[in-house]
Amino acid sequence: MNWLTRVMVALLRCSAGLLPADRRVWTRALWAEADEVPAGWRRLAWLLGGLRLTMREATRRRGLGYPLAFTAAAAGTAWSAWPGPPGDPAVAINRADVVTIAMLLAGLPWAIRRVRGPAAGSRPARLLRTGGYAALLALVLVKAAVERVAEAPPNNFEGPARAWTGEVVFLGVMACYAALILICTARRSPAAPGTVAIGAATGAALGVVAYVLGPLGFPLRFTGLWPAFLYDAAMALGALLALCAPALAGLAATRRVDRARPAGSTGRQGAMAGMWTGAAAALVVAVLSTSTIALLPYQTGLRQWASSHIGQWTPIVSQWTPIYGPRSYLGYVAGNSAFAAGYLVVLLLGPLFGVALGAWAGRAAGHDGLPSIWARPLKRFQ
Amino acid sequence: MGHRSEFSAQTLAVLAELCATPSQWRHGYGIARDTGLKSGTLYPVLIRLADRGLVEACWEDEQPAGRPRRHLYRLTAEGLAAATGALARASSSARAPAKVRGERGRRVAARVTP
Repeated sequence: MNWLTRVMVALLRCSAGLLPADRRVWTRALWAEADEVPAGWRRLAWLLGGLRLTMREATRRRGLGYPLAFTAAAAGTAWSAWPGPPGDPAVAINRADVVTIAMLLAGLPWAIRRVRGPAAGSRPARLLRTGGYAALLALVLVKAAVERVAEAPPNNFEGPARAWTGEVVFLGVMACYAALILICTARRSPAAPGTVAIGAATGAALGVVAYVLGPLGFPLRFTGLWPAFLYDAAMALGALLALCAPALAGLAATRRVDRARPAGSTGRQGAMAGMWTGAAAALVVAVLSTSTIALLPYQTGLRQWASSHIGQWTPIVSQWTPIYGPRSYLGYVAGNSAFAAGYLVVLLLGPLFGVALGAWAGRAAGHDGLPSIWARPLKRFQ
Repeated sequence: MGHRSEFSAQTLAVLAELCATPSQWRHGYGIARDTGLKSGTLYPVLIRLADRGLVEACWEDEQPAGRPRRHLYRLTAEGLAAATGALARASSSARAPAKVRGERGRRVAARVTP
């Protein structure tokens, strides 16, 4: 018990350094009082309370809450993605993923802070930054679950070279997404807060719609006449929405910008809104769909549902996956991994598609000369 | 619908304790022992009260033999007025102690109810 108490005192002394000078006195007061508390569990509880106080004050005053939350989330992702037999290429890929992404997400804020300033203090900016980071970590997590089955022998037909090439592209795309999130939520963001919020909200909604219409990336198959007709109609509407959403977001963002600004500025806001729409939609649908693919080997009901609702399943799978006896579900997932990788293309093209449509809508709105009742002065995240 | 107190039940307990002997300097463990609050609850309360100027704090002047110097607390004049008012309101509504359960709740109730 004595050694535990000594450890607690040492921890309390060390952690006091995390506090601003005007708060350290309270920690010192608390450990000075510890001598008065009867030795044993009561003294230990007293010191534990001090440690809790220190952590609370440190996170509140020094803004350590977000770094601590990120560290915990990254550690959780690593804990989940790390295990596996040595020599398995999937395990090596997962470990490289986790380490590189953690370094990217931890290091990029420092680099971008020098160019664009610190993170904006507003609630939408914090929400976007936190949500974006959570989505990127979630994607790494579910991708690791897919890789664990898809890239493990005997399902990896093309050798590790192709997998590593895809990995490099994936990490590059993740770096771009992280940079986009950090730049647009910094104090000196090139995008107005309204622009980013409109784009992100529209994109997230579009991503959910895309996932509902095709949870595994395939169009669904319905046998009944009416269900098939309704689904086809929903697909047509979804496609129209996917085409229009970036342009509408660009238009709405442009309308919020002061119309006295030059057309280039409104075009830029439109482009940013469109890019955010495309990026958020791609990220949301990639996370949700890859999660569903990752669940396939473990959920019999989901596999049965997928078999009965995906018409194009068999011919595509047959190109990739012979059936491996009692472990046939491995082949099933290996076929799907091609589509998990397909979301990498979605992640790449989504923002590019969005930026083009958003810029077009922004420029069109900037030149139409119509007065807008929505016009707002351009503000920065504060 | 009762009037919502500006202080939590724990804060009221600390105020009641300090209010009992307003001119006397009290140390943290003494307050914790008498109110039944744990250190992780008591010190944030003291910090908030000190930030609002309701409590003043200082270190013991002289180094006592065999133990470290204590950090001492007492109510400021403003704190005394605020505490008196808050305790009077709490005792009339008698809702503050319900927030703290068990033995600690009984101690708090005894403190805030004149």
